[in-house]
Amino acid sequence: MITRRHLLFGSGVGLLALTGCGPQQAVDLVLGVEGPATAVNPAATLDLPAHVLRRLTFGEHPDDRPALLALAKSPDAAVEAWVVRQLHPETIDDSICERLIRRREALAQPLGELYEFKERVLLHELTAATLLRAVYSKRQLHEQLCHFWNDHFNVDMSKGECAWVTVAYDRDVIRPHALGRFSDLLRAVALSPAMLWYLDGRVNRVDGKGIKPNENYARELLELHTLGVDGGYTQQDVMEVARCLSGWTVRDQHQWRKGTVEFHRDAHDNGAKTVLGQTIAAGGGERDLDQVLRIVATHPSTARHVARKLCTRFIADDPSAAAIDQVAQAFTVSNGDLALTMRALITSDAFRDPAGFASKLKRPFHYVASCLRATAAHSNGGHAVLDYLGRLGHQPFQFPTPDGQPENAEAWTGTLLWRWRFAGAFARSTLAGTRVDTDALVKRFGSPAATAAHLFGRQADAREMTALAAAGGDALALALGSPAFQRC
Amino acid sequence: MSDRTLVLVFLRGGADGLSLVPPVTEDAYHRARPTLAMKPGSGHRLDDRFELHPLLAPLGRWFDDGKLSVIPACGSDDETRSHFYAQDLMDHGGRNVSGGWLGRFLRQAQGADGLGVLEAVTLGTAVSECLRGAPTATAFTSLADLGGDDDHALMGAFGALTSGDPLLGGPALAALAANERLAELRRAADHPAHGAIYPTNAQHGDTAADFGARLRLTARLIQAGVGLKVACVDLDGWDSHFLQDTVIAPRLTALGHGLSAFATDLGKDLDHVSVVVISEFGRRVAENSSLGTDHGRGGACLILGGGTTGGVQGKWPGLTSDFLEGPGDVAVANDYREVLWPVLKRHGATDRAGIFPEQVSSALRDQ
Repeated sequence: MITRRHLLFGSGVGLLALTGCGPQQAVDLVLGVEGPATAVNPAATLDLPAHVLRRLTFGEHPDDRPALLALAKSPDAAVEAWVVRQLHPETIDDSICERLIRRREALAQPLGELYEFKERVLLHELTAATLLRAVYSKRQLHEQLCHFWNDHFNVDMSKGECAWVTVAYDRDVIRPHALGRFSDLLRAVALSPAMLWYLDGRVNRVDGKGIKPNENYARELLELHTLGVDGGYTQQDVMEVARCLSGWTVRDQHQWRKGTVEFHRDAHDNGAKTVLGQTIAAGGGERDLDQVLRIVATHPSTARHVARKLCTRFIADDPSAAAIDQVAQAFTVSNGDLALTMRALITSDAFRDPAGFASKLKRPFHYVASCLRATAAHSNGGHAVLDYLGRLGHQPFQFPTPDGQPENAEAWTGTLLWRWRFAGAFARSTLAGTRVDTDALVKRFGSPAATAAHLFGRQADAREMTALAAAGGDALALALGSPAFQRC
Repeated sequence: MSDRTLVLVFLRGGADGLSLVPPVTEDAYHRARPTLAMKPGSGHRLDDRFELHPLLAPLGRWFDDGKLSVIPACGSDDETRSHFYAQDLMDHGGRNVSGGWLGRFLRQAQGADGLGVLEAVTLGTAVSECLRGAPTATAFTSLADLGGDDDHALMGAFGALTSGDPLLGGPALAALAANERLAELRRAADHPAHGAIYPTNAQHGDTAADFGARLRLTARLIQAGVGLKVACVDLDGWDSHFLQDTVIAPRLTALGHGLSAFATDLGKDLDHVSVVVISEFGRRVAENSSLGTDHGRGGACLILGGGTTGGVQGKWPGLTSDFLEGPGDVAVANDYREVLWPVLKRHGATDRAGIFPEQVSSALRDQ
């Protein structure tokens, strides 16, 4: 094995020879670090472009800042243009990333065909694709929102047939609606095989002889997906919602048309119900579902709950009431338009307050992806990288409880040693299938100090520069493990 | 945070409980296995009915010391007798649950001080299914997989750069301390304590040597105090349809010598450790025409450690035809969850329904 530990901040000139150009070469050339010498933020603190490019993405790629600044004459206008583009991902050409994902044929199979694959194959392919998208997609904000909604509407591939149908959940439910309308997303989730399995909706049935509805999904729908735990619903509301949703189920692996969601009239409680004070007349049948979803999606508590979670993810672990109000207002006025809601968040004073820049701890998945992005690394998304997600406790689609992976920094500070180990192994290119070209990176930015400024989103301070200089060949690893790079 | 370690040894392939702990005084046992049955007195005596298999002889002294419990007729509610389904069920601890039972246990027992660096490990190439959903889990087969001395300076540099950080300064100190313990462990000579002798390739064969090496690594982690809460070690290959004695002999050797050496190595630390040995199912009572046995139901569970009361535990349904299940299998008189729950409780679990949400059938409980 060739050791590629180059002297980033030392005096020597590193090896420049590129080794092992294979079939990936064409993709490498597009994804690689080759490019014009790049300007970095000259200030000692993050500026708005740096903040936006770190908070709303999975890490700032060397191309990101010049591409953003090229969008308009003033940085503020450029940020505005960048945000508008990111809020409309369909306007961004993402063919390179899509080409990488298309190699994973299992992920493109129709729902029923997914059952032909082994569970662990689907888990690996979906995990790898999730990481590769986070690293290589140009639709970075959309990617962030996909993660956000996969947490908000958490499912776990280890439960029942989620092992197979979660691929379709991410692809057909979460991704198309991540920046769409909340009510559409909520309905797609409610009628997804994955959620019907994960929260037992498929066995929510009545038989007229005493079998009671299963309340699992009804409760989490109110507590986690819409109103929030203090959103003003009662146990009676939970039971009424469960009655409304009874009869919806999904065909299992032993049946013909496996994975198909259907409504069984004879298993539905067709009596009258009252949900959050609103009457749903008897005889509604399968239309009860739409009535319930309309009631909860438009409830004021839902706007607040969703706004609070978005602000927690994108503004601060403990966001101000003013920020939440502003975003909730946008959610309500736009009738749950998530692009407009996010736009309100991004233009809010709270989001743009420099005191909040670089204040969030990256969660482990974000951290790993940002190491790859910031260095323009090449990765096949193989086991060597994915294993670290397990060590860091942050594997997508494997969180057991419906509240989703925690967002607050304190939940993740215990992962520091594994973050450092990842930074070391990654920067030294000892992870099979993942490679970083340190020389090319430094060459691109023109100097070690400029490279550090790219990684931190600001000029490195004296203490950081001293430490990086002393680290010699491990300077890149040290920069990636530093407290500055742990944050976004 | 509990400083106790649970070691799960999963015998994959369906280990024959009647070989692990043969009921040598039961006529039905000898009638069903004219060729394979063990004669009374060939193994270590456990009680009036059971003996240890002769190849498990090294475990005899631990049984006599009250550190080893034996639970015969232990198994799950799986009736498919499929390795895949039965292992899946026992790994997850239920039919329709999220994650594995050890994953749920670790989430429940999680201390206020957050994640340990090496809280849950599999000594193997992939994290065990029963650890799914754990707050953190890692798989490795040697200490070198956890980093080497060549990154010692780098780890120190990370620590120095992070030490003053308001959020990460404290965790950085904890990370450095854990890293230092691992480094000491790597540097320390790999000599088992208390004269323990692990199985060797030359004397006991590759299977036993490999299993022993994984147990030795587990013991080193426990002795180094890295905060290990759960370790999983698989011992594969118990599917003895054909020439059963030949198939299971190297595995019994591994189990007997490996576990005995592990217990010796731990010394007083064994008081804080529970080793649980389970298998997805036991095997048919009657031997088949190729001197083997086919997939069955009840197997045997072993618990070794300071917290166990010793002796033969649980119910024994007997082997007469009235009490056999299906095609002639040992009835599951002791559900694996009934056996595991007291162990988990001792290791800090508080809410049984949070770990095993599904009911154990009352017929089984009341037996």
